[in-house]
Amino acid sequence: MFSVLKMKKYLGVFYLIALVVIYSTIAAQVPVDATAVVHPPAPVTGLTASDTDSDHGHSITVNWKPSTDDGGGANSVIGYRIMRSNSPEGPFDTVGIVPLGSKTFENSSSIEAGTTGFIPDDTNFYFRVDALTADPAVFSSSEGTGPVHSYGQWFNKGLYPVLWAVIIFTVLTVMFVSAAKKGKELYVRPLAGIEAVDDAIGRATEMGRPILYVFGLGTASDIATIASFTILSRVAKRVAEYQTSLIVPCYDPIVMAVAQDVVKTAYMDAGRPNDYKEDAVHFITNAQFAYVGAVNGIMLRELPATNIYMGKFFAESLMLAETGVVSGSIQIAGTDEIAQIPFFVVACDYTLIGEELFAASAYLGREPLLLGSLKAQDYAKAAVLVLALFGILAVNFAGDLGMAWLANFKELFKVID
Amino acid sequence: MLNTLAIIILSLMGASLIYVLYRTIDGRPVERRIVFAYIGLAVMLPLMMKVTPPLPITTDVQKLYEHIVKLPPGSKVLCAFDFDPPSAPELQPMAVAFVKYAFKHDLKLIIMGLWPQGPQQANMALQEAFRDSLVAVKPHEEGIDWVNLGFQSGNEFVILSMGDGFKRMFPRDTRLIPYDSIPILKNVVNFSNIDFIMNFGAGYPGTREWVQIGVDRYKSDLGAGTTAVQATEVYPYLSSGQLVGLLGGMSGAAEFEKVLAEKGKASTFILAQMFGHATVMAFVIIGNVAFFVLGRKKKNPEGNN
Amino acid sequence: MELLGIWIGAILTLGIFSFLYKDNPVYKVTEAIFIGVSAGYYAIVYFFDSIYKKFWLGAVVAAEKDLMLYGGAVLGLLFLSRLYSKTSWIARWPLAFIVGATAGLYMMTYFVTNGMNQVASTISDVAQKSDLAGSSWAEVLGTYVILVGVVTGLIYFFFSKEHKGAFGAAAKVGIWFLMVTFGASFGYTVMSRMSLLIGRMDFLLGDWLRIIN
Repeated sequence: MFSVLKMKKYLGVFYLIALVVIYSTIAAQVPVDATAVVHPPAPVTGLTASDTDSDHGHSITVNWKPSTDDGGGANSVIGYRIMRSNSPEGPFDTVGIVPLGSKTFENSSSIEAGTTGFIPDDTNFYFRVDALTADPAVFSSSEGTGPVHSYGQWFNKGLYPVLWAVIIFTVLTVMFVSAAKKGKELYVRPLAGIEAVDDAIGRATEMGRPILYVFGLGTASDIATIASFTILSRVAKRVAEYQTSLIVPCYDPIVMAVAQDVVKTAYMDAGRPNDYKEDAVHFITNAQFAYVGAVNGIMLRELPATNIYMGKFFAESLMLAETGVVSGSIQIAGTDEIAQIPFFVVACDYTLIGEELFAASAYLGREPLLLGSLKAQDYAKAAVLVLALFGILAVNFAGDLGMAWLANFKELFKVID
Repeated sequence: MLNTLAIIILSLMGASLIYVLYRTIDGRPVERRIVFAYIGLAVMLPLMMKVTPPLPITTDVQKLYEHIVKLPPGSKVLCAFDFDPPSAPELQPMAVAFVKYAFKHDLKLIIMGLWPQGPQQANMALQEAFRDSLVAVKPHEEGIDWVNLGFQSGNEFVILSMGDGFKRMFPRDTRLIPYDSIPILKNVVNFSNIDFIMNFGAGYPGTREWVQIGVDRYKSDLGAGTTAVQATEVYPYLSSGQLVGLLGGMSGAAEFEKVLAEKGKASTFILAQMFGHATVMAFVIIGNVAFFVLGRKKKNPEGNN
Repeated sequence: MELLGIWIGAILTLGIFSFLYKDNPVYKVTEAIFIGVSAGYYAIVYFFDSIYKKFWLGAVVAAEKDLMLYGGAVLGLLFLSRLYSKTSWIARWPLAFIVGATAGLYMMTYFVTNGMNQVASTISDVAQKSDLAGSSWAEVLGTYVILVGVVTGLIYFFFSKEHKGAFGAAAKVGIWFLMVTFGASFGYTVMSRMSLLIGRMDFLLGDWLRIIN
């Protein structure tokens, strides 16, 4: 039997042994550092590399089946590293890193030799994909694939819808232009703004005041400006016949150059080449608000009887139209800029909305080319309308009709570039 | 004191509109210069008031914000400054807010412009950003954290050419340092090396051209800040997903500042804009009421019903 | 120097604003200064950025010369033939190049971006949002309103048939949609103009008079 004194003596030892047992038990429950050992993941499979289709070359697309440890299995994959080499034995260089879940990578470069990462065409390459983990030293490489070389295609297959649309539209245009050239009457519905142009020119002649023609801020390559040239030609011819004066202040120097030709030709067609004044068409400035300031000044000083705004306008539209109201001019406007149409509608006597400007140029010019293309546009619009409505019905009711393929009708319009 | 004075004058103006309505219905409309004075005061006086009105965040701005916050540090952002000083009141605040955000979150900015004064507006935005204490904490070096490639003429052809290679359109930056010598542009060949495009556009060339070529042809992600005038033309691109988000006009700029928690000019201007709009609406209503009342008077000149 | 610039800016701003009262010599002088300065400014910008930075440094001075720039320079020089009437016809060639190249580019970009992608989006929206279980009634209504607007708007811009009968009624609905759109656009534009005025007021009251900020 131990005496109490001896028990007290050994109590410290007992406590020490108990503490060791307790700590050992706790330590056994604490998991070992999770990152201490990372096993290499399963490599990707099904690796293929091919030239990227429908491009200008210098691009290779690599596809693979993700590792089984990506989103499953050991769940250790965090991404993939795509490696490329000029030979199957290597050395391989990294060309891209993509996140987990990825199955494809496009290795592309600029077409200019000498740029960083340039991929020359018709040069064999070999690819490999490494499945990466959180530990940079632990990864699995796939079997290599190759040789593969990039090359450009002549045609982008994703643009087939555009090709068909262009072909159909071209055929329609040629058909109608031919019909117009043969003298067939192509009906264009009357537009109020167009019919007012002649009256406005007559008014200016009676009042002995000039006509102001403003192209707006467009360049010579803008469609609205091109349409405006045709209208200017008609206006200039009438002005020449009635011997009224014409003022055409220009924003763009190239537009000024073309407008001078147009007006000069119109005067010659009217049989009054000597009445043409060089100063009638002049350049003001290439700055928006400086231009409108100058045109406002012209309106208030010259007091034109008629202001014609045809072309591309921006923030200056209301300033011009308001000043025209103050100077007491009759105003006819036409633009395809949606934001400016409300101002012209409010401040001008007649407004040609959007496409009516292009129709006006065809209506006034009566040229077969313009009339034919206008008719073709109309038929193209009708086609788009019918196809869109059909598409909506098809996509909505394809399931009910048991025609699943019809549900993909809208893909017809989807352009892959 | 200015605050109080402004509120008193605005209240008197509001009350005087009733007199304007009475005069207009009576066939004695006020002169246009009085209308100009009303608009001028309605815009000027709120600028003196230190009040920020409540501003809900619209989905267009929210979508842009959600896309921007997902950009990881080090992302390369192409900033196209396609505007000039006349559009600066609307676009400069949003540009400043974006530049500040970019520097605070370590986004690398590659600045260029399709308008001649765009890069200069960018420099002004950068200078304002550098004055922010949170941005100034860390130095931002030109060529490393940002670069200004300058202006290039050619409109949409510039964007088209950039799709093949930026270097061809911008062989040097505004300091005339060659493209290949600029660290931030290392490995930046074309749009495929850019993580995001942010366009501040005031017209042509602008957002529409960036959508047509940058998005539809080169598959970039594009966010846009436009003037209010341009916003209506650009909305179809937002609903079709061609734009990730849109800041429309000064209200868009104010919402952007709010969502990014950046103090800026748009937030102080928005109250003036509200009062300006309210004044315009009041005069439109007065004009229309008078039109119908006077029209009825003309039909029944002796007041017979 | 900055103070002088602010004062000049303020005086010129007020000079332009004087037009609100009536046309006057101060406005005329300010307008002339604006036109002259803007013309000179753009001349310098285009010369420095295009001719010096792009052409001179890229095609003449650079070690790796971009020979394509010489083609552009030749076309640009051909434009100068306009200065002499006997050779002015030559300027039509570079103009034809610009118009043709732009037409070719626009045919693709507008067709794809403004045509096909928008039609595909309209079809998608109606298909996706027709299901009331997945969308709110406002979204569904909005989608169909857009569809009606698209159809009637296209009918309005059909020029081969006169607007009579049912066709005319549809065109009338179309023009109503257009007018509502223009009204919304008008409102946005008023907002834009107001912003410009606010910017100028901020400059006058803040930078010039220092009453605010």
